[in-house]
Amino acid sequence: MNNTEYWNPVLETLPREKLRQLQLKKFKEIFTWGYEHSKFYHKLYSDAGIQPGDIKKFEDIKKVPKMEKSMMRNAQGPTKEPFPYGDVLCVPLEQVTAYRQTSGTTGQPIYQADTWQDWELGTEAYCYALWAQGYRPGERIFVPFGYNIFVAFWAYHYAGEKIGCEVIPGGVLDTSARILKMKELKATAMGATPTYILGMAETARKMGIEPPKDLYIRRITVAGEPGGSVPVTRQRMEDAWGAKVYDEVGSTEIGHWGWQCLHQAGLHVNEAFYLVEIEDVATGETIDEPGRRGKMVITTFGRLAQPCIRFDVKDIIQWNTQQCDCGRTFRLLDGGVLGRADDITKVKGVLLSPLAIEEVVRNIPQLGNEYQVIVTKKGDIDDITLKVEILPEYKKDEAAIKAKLADQLRITTNLGYNIEFHEYESLPRSQAKSRRFLDQRPH
Amino acid sequence: MAQNYDIKGMVSKIKSLRKDAEELKKISGGIPAVEKNADRILADVRMLEIDIVDAAELKS
Repeated sequence: MNNTEYWNPVLETLPREKLRQLQLKKFKEIFTWGYEHSKFYHKLYSDAGIQPGDIKKFEDIKKVPKMEKSMMRNAQGPTKEPFPYGDVLCVPLEQVTAYRQTSGTTGQPIYQADTWQDWELGTEAYCYALWAQGYRPGERIFVPFGYNIFVAFWAYHYAGEKIGCEVIPGGVLDTSARILKMKELKATAMGATPTYILGMAETARKMGIEPPKDLYIRRITVAGEPGGSVPVTRQRMEDAWGAKVYDEVGSTEIGHWGWQCLHQAGLHVNEAFYLVEIEDVATGETIDEPGRRGKMVITTFGRLAQPCIRFDVKDIIQWNTQQCDCGRTFRLLDGGVLGRADDITKVKGVLLSPLAIEEVVRNIPQLGNEYQVIVTKKGDIDDITLKVEILPEYKKDEAAIKAKLADQLRITTNLGYNIEFHEYESLPRSQAKSRRFLDQRPH
Repeated sequence: MAQNYDIKGMVSKIKSLRKDAEELKKISGGIPAVEKNADRILADVRMLEIDIVDAAELKS
């Protein structure tokens, strides 16, 4: 084995007990930093009666209060100083070199401040992901994404460059122009959302281009949506492009904390850069054993301008039962991010995860990639409508496909749906995060 | 895994990189081109510390 198999064998193969020791040391550092430099964190911790000297062993971490998005949102805003970051900022404003913000899917966006060192940290974390996914110098990466105020794909770009790949920004081009440019330049890798990866393949075929045959893409990194860790969705992407597809997860406030390696066995958590805790949604009890779902609480180590300490993200995850064959000691999550605690909702008294619907829809080859779920209330009764697209060549089989879909949905989700078939390509498509689950019930 | 790298040597070089970049900044007399490039070097040195030094200095 040589030292180039991993981006950093020192950390990626660190024995588990050493990794835990490193995590405790880094947690103490970032906790102390937040306590001493941010009015927001200082108040949060003082109110809870906890201070840096109180964190002595790993179990003490749980005593530190969790932080939620709404708390950070309240500490920021137009009237808060220093504008616009308010009390969460830990460095003088003149050290902030990067601004990004969250998409605002769950409310007013969070403003994210980063120093140059923080930005380097995000890039470094992404290097671990890309190297693990087989990116090497000589790879020609195309980024079919309009970089902007959101964090999406900036670090993919910077990490690609840092690794030594050639990176082509496909920003303001439209989809057809991007496909032609990828063909012209013989791009070998790309990164985008699963929805856009599938949509691009549809567009290419309409242009008379068969991606596996006429293009050169062999490696795709997907982020922003859970599709890369949903086996049927990943298979659809791999078939459409004739390429291997790898998932990557991260967020504006956290950074790039998880990724699939070449083995695609699950999502590795970069435990040298992040502490991931899983908590039982109902009891708050820590879940360490594999195969039991809970919500993620995450800490980013070493991000100084606007630290992320015990962030209650509300993503649902579970540890994998197996160790990956890649040799990394970073633990695996089974199935990636399985949903959000917010999204798992009761419909007709049954707990429903929107991701379960995606798995059913995309497992039926006669259906297109897009779908939409709308939950309403008729009187006192919940009503679910599922809109799907049927591929034109299967329109004659609509009744049989509908019956199969209803059957599979009932088996998987224990619910009955109003199924609507729509014309192929008539449902909305997005380059950024798609919103396919619409709960329109009055709350 | 066969380790054919010199952790102690790397730690020592990373520490001297930090020292040199900090000294460079100190003697720059505030020349922006020197200060700002030294800051970038120091950010990269921090990545090397995270990648190598922090783990190497754990108590055994």
